[in-house]
Amino acid sequence: MELKLANHSSYPRIGDNPEGQLLRRTIALREKGEKTDADLRAAEDRMTELALAEQDEAGLDVVTDGQIRWYDPVSHLAGKLAGIRINGLLRFFDTNFYFRQPVVEGKIERRQPLIVDEFKFARSKTARAVKPVLTGPYTLARLSLAKDAGTVQVAKLAEAYAGTLADEVAALAEAGATLIQVDEPAILKHADDFALFKSGVEALAARKKNAQLMLAFYFGDVAPLYPRLQSLPVDALCLDFTYSPNLPGVIAADGSSKTLALGLIDGRNTRLEKADVLAREIEEVAAGIQSGSAYLTPSCGLEYLPRDRAQLKLKHLTTVRNTFLGKGQ
Amino acid sequence: MSREKLRQLGIDLPILPTTSVGSFPKPDYLMKARSEFAKGKITREQLEESEKRATEFWIRKQEELDVDVLVDGEMYRGDMVAYFSEHIAGFEQGGLVRSYGNRYYHKPIITSEVRWQGPITVDWWKYAQSLTQRPVKGMLTGPYTVMDWSFNEAYPDRKAACFALAGEIRKEVQALVEAGAKIIQIDEPATSVRPEELPMAIEAMRIVTEGLNAYFLTHICYGAFENIYPQMLKFPVDNFDLEMSNSGLDMLELFKKDPYTKDISFGVVDVHSHVIEEEPVVEQRLRAALAVIPRENVWVDPDCGLKTRSVEEAIAKMKVTVRAAKALRN
Repeated sequence: MELKLANHSSYPRIGDNPEGQLLRRTIALREKGEKTDADLRAAEDRMTELALAEQDEAGLDVVTDGQIRWYDPVSHLAGKLAGIRINGLLRFFDTNFYFRQPVVEGKIERRQPLIVDEFKFARSKTARAVKPVLTGPYTLARLSLAKDAGTVQVAKLAEAYAGTLADEVAALAEAGATLIQVDEPAILKHADDFALFKSGVEALAARKKNAQLMLAFYFGDVAPLYPRLQSLPVDALCLDFTYSPNLPGVIAADGSSKTLALGLIDGRNTRLEKADVLAREIEEVAAGIQSGSAYLTPSCGLEYLPRDRAQLKLKHLTTVRNTFLGKGQ
Repeated sequence: MSREKLRQLGIDLPILPTTSVGSFPKPDYLMKARSEFAKGKITREQLEESEKRATEFWIRKQEELDVDVLVDGEMYRGDMVAYFSEHIAGFEQGGLVRSYGNRYYHKPIITSEVRWQGPITVDWWKYAQSLTQRPVKGMLTGPYTVMDWSFNEAYPDRKAACFALAGEIRKEVQALVEAGAKIIQIDEPATSVRPEELPMAIEAMRIVTEGLNAYFLTHICYGAFENIYPQMLKFPVDNFDLEMSNSGLDMLELFKKDPYTKDISFGVVDVHSHVIEEEPVVEQRLRAALAVIPRENVWVDPDCGLKTRSVEEAIAKMKVTVRAAKALRN
C-alpha cells in the first residue's frame, strides 16, 4: 500500500523564538494603529512561509498553508459571507480554543472567494502538493446562530452554507487544487442529522471538477458512523483515531473503497507515539483499504500544540512510515 | 444541612452570606512588579512584597464592603493551572498555544510522575487569614481541570493523570485544613466540557476531599450545564459556585425539573461586562434564585473571578452584590 504523509490543517501561528512572535506583535500594533493592513498581510505571509518550510523540512507529501490567517475555523469563512455578523466567543468542541460565533441575519451569500488567494499564495511558495481546507457546511451551521432556533434552523443554515461552499470548492478546483479537504467534526455528535449532512456533501461533490474531495472528522468517535461514510460521494476520508479505540478493527472488517487519511498521530497531546504500535495499526487497516492508497496524518490541526512539539509530530510521521515500511527508525 | 456543618466548624454566617469566586484584579503596582520580576529587574522578595501589599488591600476592601467569606484575591497567581503546575513536580512549562484570536498561553506538560513537594497556597492563606477575623477561603484548582488543561506525556490516559493529580492535590488540601482553613474551594471549571468524563471528575474530587474536615465548594463555569445536571450533584462538595447571570439564569429551569440539593454560591453579576449592574437587577436575579432554592442554602457572589475587570469595576460589582444580599435578608 502506498502511504503518503500529509499535514492535517492548521499549524501554530506563533513560536517561542523571536521570529515566532512576528504575527502576534504585528496584530497588536495594528490594533493600536501603529501598523498598516499591508504590514499585517506581510506578517501573515511570512508566518505562512515558515509553516510551509517546516512542513517541507519534515518531508511531507501534502502540505497546508497552516491556516495562519484564520482567526478561527468558523469566523474566518463565515465572516467573509454576506448576511452574517460575527459575535462573541464560544468554546470550539472540547478544546481550550475559542471561536467567534456567526449570527445569521440575512441571506447568506458568497460575494468574494474565501480562501482561493490563500491557496494560491501557499502554492507559489512550495513545490509540494498544497491541500486547501474548508470547514464544512454542517459544522458551520451547527456552530452558528440564527434568529429562529431549533432543527429547522440548522437545516436551513446547512443548506445555505453548502451553496456558498460549493462555489468555493469549484473556485479552488479551478485554481488548480487537486485535493480539497472539508472538515465536518460536528456530525460526530449529531449522527441523527446524517441525511442533512449528506446533502451538504453532495452539493460540494457536485462542484469539485477534477479535484479529489476529502472529508475530515475529529474530536469524537468516528467508528459508529464509519459504514455510512463509505456511501458519501467523496474520494477520501480523514479519520481521527485518538477517540476511537475500535476504529482499526472496524476498518479492517468493513474495508474502504475510498482513500483513507489515517489520523494516528495525536494532534492534541505532545507525547510522541510509539512508532511500532502505530505501524501495527497501519498494517491492520491497510488490508482493508481497497484503493491501495492512504495518507498518514495528525488526528486534527496542529495548532493545539506548541510549535516545537508540532514540528516533532510532523517529523514523527516519517519515522512511523519508515517503521511501517520495515525500514526501522 | 451544610449550615450545620459550618456551625460544627465554628463558623456562623448570616442568611444569604456573601463571598467572591477567588480572583481580584491586580493593582497597577503589582502588574509593574510582575513585569519587572520577569525581566530580572527585581528580586522574588521584592515581588512578594507587592503581592502582600495587594493581598492586604483586597482583604481590607472586602471587610469594608462587609463581605462575609473572604478570598485572598490570588495576587500571587498568573494562571489558575500554570500556578499549580509550577509548584507540583512532574510538570514542564510548554510552549505557547493559542486560546483565541491573538491570545496565547503556556500550556503545561506532565512529563513525569506528579508529586506534591510541600505547601503551595498555605502561606498565602495564613497571611490573608492573619489580616482578618472573617473566614478566608482556601483556594485550589481541581485535578480534573489541571489534567484537562495540561498535555499528558507521563500517564497512560486522562483518567490515570487525573487520579494521580487528585492524590497530590489532596495533600495540599490536607495542609490547608491543618493550617486551620475551614472553608476550601476547589475549582473545576473544565468539568462541563466532556459530560462523559463527569464520573472521573467526581471520583477525583472524592479522592481530594474524602474524610477531610472542611466545608468544600467547587466552582464550575463555561456553561453546558444541561449536559451534566443533575448528575453533577454527586460531587462530594457542600456548595457549588456557579455562574448564573451570564447565562440568563437558565440553570434555574434545570433546578425546577430536578431539585437542587446542595448549597449554592449564586452568581448575580456578570464578570465579563464593564457595565455595573443596577441594584434592582441584581436583587431580581437573587429573587429568582430564592423562588427555586431554599434561602438557607443560598450564598451570593459574582459569576466568576473578577481579575479581568479594573480595580474600580471589581469593587463596584462586589458592592452591588453585597447590597442586594443585604436587601433580601430581611
